[in-house]
Amino acid sequence: MKKKWIAAMMAAAIAFTGLAGCGSKDSNGGGQGGNSEDSPKVEAPTEPFGDTVKYDPSVEINEGKDITVELWEWGSDDLFQQIIDGYTAMHPNVTIKLVNNPWEDYWTKLPLALDGANGPALFNVHNSYHENLINYLAPLEIPVEDLEADFTGVAAHLIDDKVYYIDYGMMTGTVYYNKDMWETAGLTDADIPKTWDQMREVAKKLTIREGDSLVQAGLNFNDDFHQNYLLGLNYQLGENLFQEDGKTPNVNSESMKKVMQMLVDMYETDGVGSKDFGEKGSDSFGQGQSAMVIQWGHYYNTLNTTWSDINFGVFEIPTFDENPYAYNRYNGESTFGINKNAPADQQAVAQDFVKYFLANDDAQIAFNLAMSTFPAKKSLADDPKILENPSLAVLSEHIDHYIWPGPMPSTVETSLKKAGQDIFFNGVDIDTALNAAQEEIIRDMKSSAFVSVENLYEFAEK
Amino acid sequence: MFKKSSPLQSKSEIILRNIVVAAMVVFFMLFLIIPIGIAFAGSFHEWNPLSGTYRFLGFENYKEVFTSALFGKSMLNTLIFSVVVIIFRVGLGLGIAYAIYSSLVKYKSFFRAVYYMPVVTPMVAVAFVWKFMYNPQIGTINQIFGLDVNWLMNPKTALIAVIIMTIWKDFGYAVVMFMAGLYSLPSDALEAANVDGASAWQTFRYITFPLLKPMTLFVVITSIISYIQAYVQILIMTEGGPGTATYLASYIIYDEAFVKYNFGYASALSFVLFIITAVFTWLSFRVSGKEE
Repeated sequence: MKKKWIAAMMAAAIAFTGLAGCGSKDSNGGGQGGNSEDSPKVEAPTEPFGDTVKYDPSVEINEGKDITVELWEWGSDDLFQQIIDGYTAMHPNVTIKLVNNPWEDYWTKLPLALDGANGPALFNVHNSYHENLINYLAPLEIPVEDLEADFTGVAAHLIDDKVYYIDYGMMTGTVYYNKDMWETAGLTDADIPKTWDQMREVAKKLTIREGDSLVQAGLNFNDDFHQNYLLGLNYQLGENLFQEDGKTPNVNSESMKKVMQMLVDMYETDGVGSKDFGEKGSDSFGQGQSAMVIQWGHYYNTLNTTWSDINFGVFEIPTFDENPYAYNRYNGESTFGINKNAPADQQAVAQDFVKYFLANDDAQIAFNLAMSTFPAKKSLADDPKILENPSLAVLSEHIDHYIWPGPMPSTVETSLKKAGQDIFFNGVDIDTALNAAQEEIIRDMKSSAFVSVENLYEFAEK
Repeated sequence: MFKKSSPLQSKSEIILRNIVVAAMVVFFMLFLIIPIGIAFAGSFHEWNPLSGTYRFLGFENYKEVFTSALFGKSMLNTLIFSVVVIIFRVGLGLGIAYAIYSSLVKYKSFFRAVYYMPVVTPMVAVAFVWKFMYNPQIGTINQIFGLDVNWLMNPKTALIAVIIMTIWKDFGYAVVMFMAGLYSLPSDALEAANVDGASAWQTFRYITFPLLKPMTLFVVITSIISYIQAYVQILIMTEGGPGTATYLASYIIYDEAFVKYNFGYASALSFVLFIITAVFTWLSFRVSGKEE
């Protein structure tokens, strides 16, 4: 009897988990096309739309015959499903199957899938994996001059006069400050710093100590100093991350040393924070222990979702003087990639889908707001919905003074992180640590095809 | 495929044998011998499978391995890590197994299960929990002991912190192995020692421990092989930092292969490590063999 009871329980458990498995597939969007009965009704436009890159919904796709393509991405299913629904409402014969692979698996699975015959026709791109993807990408069929007319930064993506993907948005660093701590310290909007000297003074006022113990850090850059300070503030001092040949790194430059020295001084001389105060500056700010952090655009959404009780404001990154060569580095959020090994009919759908995405202002706004990136589409720079987001609004005045160095190999970041840790934790002097980083990057990049596009910066000659 | 030799009688037995053996040969060829061969060939090349780069370099990768200061440092870290963890694993494992084996202890199965639990818990999960425990501000270790130590970012404590976690997670394996060894000891030898009036220490020192030497050797050799390959705890807890203070040999291989996609150099590192592991294993057998 007991055995029967156990067997019944196990059977029920198996049945339940089986059903749950089906349920989860549906709920995360896996296997969903645009024709799902659960999808909200989307109004399909009938007239052509777009700026220079125009999309004509009346043009039949795949001669009206049914076709299915896959779109691979690593998150934000609802966002992708939204644009898929918009597209399939115009073209009901097209089914776009959304496949989510978590970031950790995505970059292992995707190149293998693209190498085979059954890889996805469309896939989300992150430019840090450019070198691993470029051999699988089909060039966009949209004329380059049309793309350049509508979007900034297109020239940086030209390879032999062809464009394989562009940026739909630009992400960079801004200063997030805790408004409650700001007010408690007696600071007002008039105190928002424009220069690093002012920033250091404000940070001192925001720092709270009890005896020798730090209770509240005025500024915290633990674990992200390499991304948010070292790889960007060099531009304020007029030096690029790569030398003139575009391949040799420039991370042991005088400007990099000056930035590193400023970071050391802020912790060790000003005492506005500590290398041991919070594992990550971003977490420390979210946990209400640090008053200011510099973070990239994605942090805006992180604060609103993970630490929604933090009352925060945003201001533009300070500069060393009033008229910097550039304010900071930015990185682009990329448009979809098209698999050149996919069947021709699937590639045709993928080309059409990308054109729809680029011409569609609502999709551009939705993606930029979701990622907190400043739109690369020129006509959207002053869009009220974009400027409602404070982390984007503060960028609007100087967005043309931000530089993209190109899809840098990850060694640039990781080597500078090691250098910074050597300086802060292992007692290595700045010159030695940055020289070691320079050597490591040169070694790791010796077979890389990367060439910096810093020379394409609009104000490079100045 | 195989000729009928001796004990197998029926034709079906021979067919079954051939199928099983062939399956194993195919399995090992596909998933061991061929990949090892490909990696060995790759170690002489500049090799990035994702970008399709595969250029012959001769012994350049090996030259770089033997002149790399980071590899030297990581080998020293690996040596310290392995020796300390193995000593504690064997020492604690033997001590606790002997204690549980003792007639004074009740609920032996309970204790055996408790000590074995961390072994079956995934290393990733354990490493994340311990990383949280080591947090300088909100970690339980600082709070319990009233300390103010940044365990994982201080070059003096980072490797020690990882070693402590690894010992905690792994010593249960030795407990179970030694208990198996203890239960298989010949009871007449222990009874004879008892009749001769040997003390508990004398029984352990002159009877039990020598009889457990094959099991000790087994635990030591499997530990050497596993700790020379350790990298998950480093990946989760320190990422090799601060700086390169906690780089282990296998972590460099991971870093070169799956972060930098430098498969050629990573393959050369792997083969050097393979030789080192083989030498240590052979030495352990030699030492044990001589003593016997």
